[in-house]
Amino acid sequence: MATDLRISNISKIYPGCIANDNVSLQFKSGKIYALLGENGAGKSTLVKILSGVISPDNGEVFLNEKNLKLSSPLNAKKNKIGMVFQHFNLFETLSVFENLSIDANEDNKSLRVRINEIFKKYNFSIDLDVPVLNLSAGQKQKVEIIRCLLRSPKVLIMDEPTSVLTEQETEELFISLKKFCDEGILIIYITHKLKEVLSLCDEVAVMRKGKVVSVSQTQNERVETLANKMVGQKLAKIKKKINISKNKDEIFKVKHLNFYSDDPFETNLVNLNFSVKKGECLGIAGISGNGQNELFQILSGEIIAPDTSIIFRNKEIAKLNPKQRREYLMAFSPEDRISQAAVPELKIYENVALNNFKSSNFFEKGLVNEKKIKEHSKKILSDFSVNTDNVELKSQFLSGGNLQKLILGRELITAPELLICYNPTWGLDVGAINYIHETLIKINDQEKSTILISTDTEELLKLSDRIAVIYKGKLSKIMPSEEVTPGKLGVLMGGGSID
Amino acid sequence: MSLDISFIGILIGSIMASSVPLILAASGELITERSGVLNLGVEGMMIIGAISGFALMVITDNLFIAIVGSMLSGVIISLIFGFLTQSLLTNHVATGLALTIFGIGLSAMLGKNFVGIPGKEFPILFSSLRESIPFFGPILFGHSIVLYFAFALPFLTNYFLKKTKLGLVVRAVGDSPVSASNQGINVVLVRYCCILYGGAMCGLAGAYLSLIYTPQWIENMTAGRGWIALALVVFATWSPIKVLIGALIFGGITILQLHMQAIGFRIPVQFLSALPYLMTIIVLVVISRDSRKIKLNTPTSLGRIFYKEK
Repeated sequence: MATDLRISNISKIYPGCIANDNVSLQFKSGKIYALLGENGAGKSTLVKILSGVISPDNGEVFLNEKNLKLSSPLNAKKNKIGMVFQHFNLFETLSVFENLSIDANEDNKSLRVRINEIFKKYNFSIDLDVPVLNLSAGQKQKVEIIRCLLRSPKVLIMDEPTSVLTEQETEELFISLKKFCDEGILIIYITHKLKEVLSLCDEVAVMRKGKVVSVSQTQNERVETLANKMVGQKLAKIKKKINISKNKDEIFKVKHLNFYSDDPFETNLVNLNFSVKKGECLGIAGISGNGQNELFQILSGEIIAPDTSIIFRNKEIAKLNPKQRREYLMAFSPEDRISQAAVPELKIYENVALNNFKSSNFFEKGLVNEKKIKEHSKKILSDFSVNTDNVELKSQFLSGGNLQKLILGRELITAPELLICYNPTWGLDVGAINYIHETLIKINDQEKSTILISTDTEELLKLSDRIAVIYKGKLSKIMPSEEVTPGKLGVLMGGGSID
Repeated sequence: MSLDISFIGILIGSIMASSVPLILAASGELITERSGVLNLGVEGMMIIGAISGFALMVITDNLFIAIVGSMLSGVIISLIFGFLTQSLLTNHVATGLALTIFGIGLSAMLGKNFVGIPGKEFPILFSSLRESIPFFGPILFGHSIVLYFAFALPFLTNYFLKKTKLGLVVRAVGDSPVSASNQGINVVLVRYCCILYGGAMCGLAGAYLSLIYTPQWIENMTAGRGWIALALVVFATWSPIKVLIGALIFGGITILQLHMQAIGFRIPVQFLSALPYLMTIIVLVVISRDSRKIKLNTPTSLGRIFYKEK
């Protein structure tokens, strides 16, 4: 039976922010719809309304011309609207089966039978009796999807489903989604990743600042057209001038970097040697889990690797901790913004103060010099165009892009000689990515150096002067980036050889 | 004193009796905590249960009313806690501490006129069997019905949490209230129920003290047992069966060290008095050292305030 979902004039206003401004959209089964927008465009608010988690201030939702009063999640469930949240709605300490059975109205035996049917049909396989916290992100997402499928949904909403998945898992997800679509389930796919829209979806609605700005067929769209609609302005194409200056000083030199760990989840690093010149960007490519974490932590001083020599500005710094390394004008931007780079529960200026120097005088005689820190923070917010000027705001309320700008700002305002960043644009939208890339290029233009560890090959090719690939803890030879192609990188990242 | 076999039987029987209030209060608190609510008011709820049970017994001369009344009083005082933490979103720790202080003060005031009044004898079951079977008689028989209930309770609690749908809901709420709410579970209602249940069990634990264990009213007669119960829940890593083991160890060593003191062991009295606390913690830490199990049993959202998105 065909399903027709219509959203009519939905508005939702939060104090200081119009999350949804008169949104009207129509969806029909048999197609996969993309809802595209930057972080904070109002996509998540809209799907929370559709799933009954929050209620709109205005507007109506119709399913097959029946007006739905979606006042609670229970209500959405009854109307066969299933939702897979971006941050999983699972009970980590309960087993997979318990997670699935918690709102089932049948006995455990027949539920197990039905779950196994779904497993067979879609080629899933998950141990039902292990606790969810032992699952990978992809498996957790499957549990969420199965939970929806058990209720034979008419509508399935996926909120940024690939942000936590590996490429392999993403492919599997797309295959499943296409199957669901063929079976007549209406799929609404929320994302800010343009390529996914083009490869998966049939129709795309773009949201910006709470409004729907365009609805179109994906076959008529390209990455650039969608990006421009999403950001609302023409995005400047960024291309870096590559500067190979053979005679420049080496500012940073790593010799015999070795790291051995007993933890099976950590990767051993074997004899890494590389150096970075003044004003240069060294890119380190690789599929995640090949030792990037460990490498970043050793370079930043979180882990002290024995028998390793790290020379920075002619000083041996291998034994120094992150704070001491910062005093020597190194700066770090870790991958995990929320738990490594910033403390989400702290206010913006408090997060800024975490990165204090002897010279910054944030603390005097053991007391916090709040005024000074706040002035300093305000400067960061305006210099790095973070979209708030309220330094009292808790950092957790910043979107990913703004938080990354804040972190980079905090690191860069001390004018470091070397910035080491790890996946700086992970999970960000196009606008923010562009800004971060521009900033990183600007650093090199000012004759400062960067080490960019990234899993995004496009980003590496755009920003690096020289590139090396890390695979299973070993570093390939370092190549000038104009000799590197995405194909070459792919071979090296997969463990192959190009010589 | 000869350590003959019947003496050991009687000793074990008395150890069981002394651990009843701990088992009851800890089992109740365990359910509350499993739903993600940290109620530090156990001591206060117990002492309110003790005085209201005793007072009702004196007034009505009916032990059944006294027992039920003590549980109700526990429910009422925990309702204050529930309203504050679940409806007004106050901090669990501060509210629980206030509840204990309030309970101790209120019980002292209510109990003024009941000091010195002798209690009533509580009926014991199977008293003839107690005398006729050596060793096992004093262990298994001749106890009040509350004791039998208390010893069944950890197993019932375990069954409830692991095997029933409602138990699953309680654990889910304790794990992630946001997810539970998004799944359509009424988190606040579930937590209210768990808080009230915990209150009822603490009330009963108090009544056991003032009606059965030492049938009289003495100010502050719970003497820190509520805090021990709280500690038991944590050190037993939220496992009902381990709570039972911990309560028995604590009760056992308390009784044993009293005997040791009486016999005149050449160990400082202070050390002997500290022994129950020390041993209970050591044993529970040792039997609960499986970090994977701890992670699975610990209610992730414990003590965190939950409010629904609007």
